[in-house]
Amino acid sequence: MFSRRQCLQLLSAALPAARAGAQTPLAFPGKRSLLVHNDYPEDLETPVEYFDTWLTPNDRFFVRQHLPRPRIDAAAWRLDVTGLASTPLKLSLDDLKKLPQYRVPATLECAGNGRSNFRPRMPGLQWSKGAIGNAEWRGPRLAGILKSAGVSNKAAYGNVDGADVGVGKTPDFIRSIPVRKLMHEATILALEMNGEPLPEIHGFPARLIVPGWDGASWVKWVTKLDLSEQPDSGFYFATAYRYPKHPVAPGVAPKPEEMDVIGGMAVKSIFAKPADQAKLKMVPHTLQGVAWGGENRVVRVEVSTDAGAKWQDARLSTQDFPFAWRLWSFNWTPAQPGYHLLMSRATDSAGRIQPIEALWNPSGYLWNSIDRIAVVVEA
Amino acid sequence: MKRLACFLFLAAPMLAADAATIEKGRAQEKRQCIQCHGLRIIHVQRLPRGAWERELDKMVRWGAVITEREALLEYLAANYGDDKPLPVLPRSADAPSAGK
Repeated sequence: MFSRRQCLQLLSAALPAARAGAQTPLAFPGKRSLLVHNDYPEDLETPVEYFDTWLTPNDRFFVRQHLPRPRIDAAAWRLDVTGLASTPLKLSLDDLKKLPQYRVPATLECAGNGRSNFRPRMPGLQWSKGAIGNAEWRGPRLAGILKSAGVSNKAAYGNVDGADVGVGKTPDFIRSIPVRKLMHEATILALEMNGEPLPEIHGFPARLIVPGWDGASWVKWVTKLDLSEQPDSGFYFATAYRYPKHPVAPGVAPKPEEMDVIGGMAVKSIFAKPADQAKLKMVPHTLQGVAWGGENRVVRVEVSTDAGAKWQDARLSTQDFPFAWRLWSFNWTPAQPGYHLLMSRATDSAGRIQPIEALWNPSGYLWNSIDRIAVVVEA
Repeated sequence: MKRLACFLFLAAPMLAADAATIEKGRAQEKRQCIQCHGLRIIHVQRLPRGAWERELDKMVRWGAVITEREALLEYLAANYGDDKPLPVLPRSADAPSAGK
């Protein structure tokens, strides 16, 4: 049986396809059912119920595309390392495979995850909680590639471009990563995701993995890394993905010079199960979810089952890495029937604690308010 | 009462664009916006009119050809204003190759 909500979702999924004369339902390569924000280019959100495993399966992993997915000929593909380097490189996929390969478990989160919660609203994908996932990425270290290229001491940024190109006059998607972050031992060029070749929709053949940083830094389909004293001056680095240097009141737009690059992500936890608005019996339940802290480890998750009056420690999963989320769980037996507001808050190794309310900012980045769901316990 | 009726008569055009204008805006969206991206990314937004204006400015800078700007704006404000709740998102189907 479908619920009314599911019926509406199915109808809304089917209608536009039917209107367009399409015979097949909306589906995306290599993906099981996801929430569709946009179909071209693809912007797909993972429903929170799939955050019950430490590694998010590739076929449930969220997708954020700024520009249409490029077609890549793996044999012809090359990575150009140019700029402030004594030995510019042109590397093939085979060249990259021959380098030492490193496994890095890391959580990838879109900077705008949770944007739909901000008021006043702002343009951008209206993500709920699911523009995030955790995967094991595998590939060569950027540090090794930069050393082979003979990176100059003057190089401050790697300006990274992918094979995707803008439609019309849409700017190219280029991101500037500080060389000190590129040289970090966990920064790799991923050729694999969760033990499989990197799926095309996630950046085949090579994707930059910038652990702890916003998803925009994790450039897909990487074709060029230009070492420079200056960051890129294009829209996607100089204007987009910027956050106020100092807090601003909701609705206030700071001047460009009052904005800064996002870089490391916030500390945050969310519920995976039970579902928001679930109906539960008066029996023991396991509340569960995930927690992460950008470049820091998660050291604590607390849960409140009484709307934030009292907090108790949740259990954390044994995986304890920087850059990768941890699963948390909490046993709860409702003491009484009725409506219950459940909350979770994380603390990371830098001492950052998930706030009651995330700071409003013009583009709606870094939503990390204490997570909350409501459940109704039936007698 | 008479004054109220008079006010409503005068205010009506300001409160809501006429259906023909909105339809003209819808046609413009279907013809122009879709050349670069799917329409869903528009339809999932809920924005005040000023924000829609800035979005149109950005799209024109990025190469969109908008010949019916006012109609498009009326259509967006009437259907996707910030006074409306967010839509329930559709779920995609499993791709044939996924999860196998």
